Amino acid sequence: MSTSPPVPAVVSTQSLTHAYGDVVALQDVDVTLGAGVTGLVGANGAGKTTFLRVLLGLLHPTHGNVMVLGRDALKDPLAVRSLVGYMPENQCLPKDQTAADFVAYTAELAGLPTADARRRASETLFLVGLEEERFRFLGDFSTGMAQRVKLAQAIVHGPELVLLDEPASGLDPAGREAMLELIRRLGSFGINVIFSSHLLTDIEATCDSVMLLDAGWLVRSGPVSNLGPTSTITVEVIGDAGEFAARLMAAGLAAVASEHDVTVTGATDHDYDVIRDTADDQGVGIYRLSPTSRSLEDEFLMRANKAEQ
Amino acid sequence: MTDAVIYDRGYRSYEGERLGRAAIRRAIARDGIRRVLGLRRKARRKVLPWSLLVTAVTMAAVIIGLHFVAGSISAAVAEGLPSYPNLFDLYSRIALLLIAVTGPELLGPDRSLGVLSVYFSRPMRVSDYLVGKLFAYLSVAGALYVVPQLLLHLGLAGLSDDGFFSYLVDRLDILWKVPAVAAGYLAVHGGLLAVVSSQIERTGFAAAAYFGTLTAGNQLAGVIADTDFPGSRFVSLLALDDHARVVRDWVFGSNLGRHVPEEFGFDPWVSALAIGVVALIGGWWAYRRYRKLA
Repeated sequence: MSTSPPVPAVVSTQSLTHAYGDVVALQDVDVTLGAGVTGLVGANGAGKTTFLRVLLGLLHPTHGNVMVLGRDALKDPLAVRSLVGYMPENQCLPKDQTAADFVAYTAELAGLPTADARRRASETLFLVGLEEERFRFLGDFSTGMAQRVKLAQAIVHGPELVLLDEPASGLDPAGREAMLELIRRLGSFGINVIFSSHLLTDIEATCDSVMLLDAGWLVRSGPVSNLGPTSTITVEVIGDAGEFAARLMAAGLAAVASEHDVTVTGATDHDYDVIRDTADDQGVGIYRLSPTSRSLEDEFLMRANKAEQ
Repeated sequence: MTDAVIYDRGYRSYEGERLGRAAIRRAIARDGIRRVLGLRRKARRKVLPWSLLVTAVTMAAVIIGLHFVAGSISAAVAEGLPSYPNLFDLYSRIALLLIAVTGPELLGPDRSLGVLSVYFSRPMRVSDYLVGKLFAYLSVAGALYVVPQLLLHLGLAGLSDDGFFSYLVDRLDILWKVPAVAAGYLAVHGGLLAVVSSQIERTGFAAAAYFGTLTAGNQLAGVIADTDFPGSRFVSLLALDDHARVVRDWVFGSNLGRHVPEEFGFDPWVSALAIGVVALIGGWWAYRRYRKLA
């Protein structure tokens, strides 16, 4: 009997911590990201860009280990960078160069011979929809076109992993949708993508899995599909919702009461039985008991509210 | 009539050859040369560098022409015409202008436009980036010093009564003197350029700072060194542009005027040392700055 070799994680970190002086940008992040398109979510200042720069070996973490595509990003950053493409969030295009020249130059900086670099630049600009504009100067490009050039330079050298820092930032709705479509296509071409954004709808629409950062802490990571209907249960009760929530919490459930409702988060199938038995013990009636589909945005807001409290 | 079909070629991973860091440094140098000369840029970016380069070559041609005309009148007249060391003096002015205007372009825009974040995401180190830029600087500014001297050398050889090859053989020392003096100019100018360009983002301000330091700095160093403060003579060592001239006169055995460090009793070897120190400081400064930015 033969067994297939294990697929290495695209990214894995252990106890990853990075501080800028007194400001801690990443706190003890242990995460393993698999193949596909992964969304990196967090508010501004959550540590998304720091995380991406650590993966590239551009920042040396204060503590912890980072493996990217099976290579140690701290010990061998050049090997990692030869396999990774990076699209920064900020403005990063020289205005006095044509798109074709710039993308070809970035390919040469990844070690491609000049002729290959020019050919790849043409192909990549075609792929991102700039075949007609490739000989125009970048200073004349709109924001949407500039974002496409940034994406083209990130993939021109044939990377196995692409890190996209807020790729849809500054785009109008049509441009944003086009950019998300391009990112989905990258996933379909077999390129692994880590895509940071604070636009949660973009992540949900594009990514296979998600990594949620909050103030440098890893809040959760896993498939987007796991945010499914079983994770939250809304119970509408006839009776004292506050006491009902307290009893549920005493039974080990994460329950929050509102006027007539109790919301149980992180629920499992077994928790339905606990809710029923608790209602029976308390003598309250259950008017409605339903699983709630909780979006990434709900989770993000819930975390933010908790942090405020 | 044929039916045309458009295919989406999709994305193909790159499976071809990948070159090492030496090739990356060459690519950076090539890009730097293009940037300085305005190649593959808009037409207005070409005007200044090319007009200065054409001026330099034209001046060499004019001097050869003067030698030809004067030589046909009398050898004594030809002796009094500008030769190799004078040409350095002329070219250092043109080079100063060229480097002041186009030199900051080598480092400034990459930083101010945020392009470094793309470049340093590639498999290269800060040293590769700076070495590539250094090659670009040496190629353009070095050519400005060496090519007209070469033209003059060949031109004078062609005019020589001793014959072309005899002239060249008799003056083999030119083959090391010209590069040595050019290296002095390039080192002191490049060192200062590295400091100024890595600190000041706006190319116009960087050009002004560079130009001002070399021109006004020379005068100012002379004035301060002339005061009665103890040790004030050492301020004359800050007359950076004069160090290259001292070395030029030292190498060619010429005397094209007194220079500030010499006036305050410093030997030519001190000027050569000062040039080396300026170059090292420039390199170290730029490296330190870009290590932070990478």
